[in-house]
Amino acid sequence: MEKKPVNRKIVIAVWVIGVFLVWEFAAFAIRHILPIDTPDTKLPYFHGVVITFFQNFMDLAASSWVTFINAGRGFLIGTAIGCVIAFLMSWSKAIEKIAFPYLITFQMIPVLGLAPIVYKLVGGGDEAKVAISALISFFPVAVNLLDGFHSVDVQRRELLYSYATKKPITYLKLMIPSALPQLFTGMKIAAPRTITAAILIEMMGSTAGIGVKILYALYYNGAGSLLFWSCILAAAILGMLSSVVVSLVERIVIPWEKAMLKKGEA
Amino acid sequence: MNKSSWIDKKGFRIAAPIVFGILFVLFWQFGGLHWLLHLRAYDFPLPTQIIDVFATQYAVLWKHTVITATEALVGLIIGSVLGFGVAVLASWFPQWGYGGLALMSAINAIPTTAMAPIMNNWFGRGMGSKIAVVIFFTMAAMAINTYRGLTVLPPFSLDLMKSYNATKKEIFFSLRLPNCVPSIFTALKVTTTTSMLSAIIAEFFSSYAGLGFRVNSVLQEGKNADGWAYIACSAIVGIIMYMIVSVVERRVTKWHASQR
Repeated sequence: MEKKPVNRKIVIAVWVIGVFLVWEFAAFAIRHILPIDTPDTKLPYFHGVVITFFQNFMDLAASSWVTFINAGRGFLIGTAIGCVIAFLMSWSKAIEKIAFPYLITFQMIPVLGLAPIVYKLVGGGDEAKVAISALISFFPVAVNLLDGFHSVDVQRRELLYSYATKKPITYLKLMIPSALPQLFTGMKIAAPRTITAAILIEMMGSTAGIGVKILYALYYNGAGSLLFWSCILAAAILGMLSSVVVSLVERIVIPWEKAMLKKGEA
Repeated sequence: MNKSSWIDKKGFRIAAPIVFGILFVLFWQFGGLHWLLHLRAYDFPLPTQIIDVFATQYAVLWKHTVITATEALVGLIIGSVLGFGVAVLASWFPQWGYGGLALMSAINAIPTTAMAPIMNNWFGRGMGSKIAVVIFFTMAAMAINTYRGLTVLPPFSLDLMKSYNATKKEIFFSLRLPNCVPSIFTALKVTTTTSMLSAIIAEFFSSYAGLGFRVNSVLQEGKNADGWAYIACSAIVGIIMYMIVSVVERRVTKWHASQR
């Protein structure tokens, strides 16, 4: 292990190029080496997808923005509600005892299955996307933040208790700062899911958003069209972007956590 | 920290959620939710209507539940094995394997709704495409979780193994592998839900059987209570799968209880 450490950025770059080459070769293979039926619907050339992506960039970006902003609004609402619930449960033992089994149960339920019902209730407008995004991000945030509150060092709590520190101060000075990393863990789980949720509502029938673009491309250009694939690419980028944004915010809000992790790894 | 002691009693811990649940269902049954959320009776079925669907259509419900559960389970098993393999390879080659893990994180962030149409192109409208979607997402979650277990080791344990002049293989089998068993279960708890969810989402688009397909089609026919019954089925399957994982976890990681 004491060999020269390779820069992680180089590793990632090599992998990205590798995936690109594998994709291109596979696309070549199903056309010329082992020809299959309708290769365009299975795997188009990646460079073709990228070119189409940039040709339609403004269009795709505008649609993605609609999806992103609605998912983001739902995400913020869901995160806020999740924080309040976790906070109440940590504050009052009675509330925790009543609500905890339900919180755990809801985690086991495929909540996105509710999407058609939400769609039926409020239609395919922005409200539906915000509602389902909020619903989906609420549970991971609440569960993880509560977990963070639970794992605060007991000795530290007892120290503050022995100083007769008031409960609000204890939360402000100890509980909330210590639980922040867990909050971000929950948010990182939730963020890509809200994008999935928003796209799902859009694909069920809506007027704007990347999900609508995917459907249109399927109907008018077919599953083998490069436009369809570049819409998918945009959706994938959107999902990754959402978790990158949360990571960036995390690095700004709790810079010490990253530093500690690096120390631990070394 | 002396709290009022009645809250800590076991009786309260069990009774309180049950009483709350019963009150909630009664509130719902007698129109409280409709009144609170301004819903019309037609849009939002009552508990008795949903139970009625279970009583009259259990055969159809069962048939579609089995289809979705099979897709989820087969995908979960294949995906977990693949994901674990990726994590092992990544930890075996720490320098370059890291990139594979980044790839897994990227896959994990892809919306299921974007993956489903591609898999439908690849494997048709049957169960195969749904299983493929499940494989992708369970694989990613499993790889990310177990990689942590394989690489984040107790302090100094790796130094100790090295001071014994342990080979890479020995370190893997007597340190990394046991250390990652709890992470496997953490991952499984996440992926059981993920697998059901991915299967259902994949079924929403282009399929002719399964819970996701049925939810969509009965809602379009305006049978809202039926839709809720199918949702309830998916929830029940999710809960059962989660519970099986929890029970196995408790049996397998008994030795680990002190650490958790």
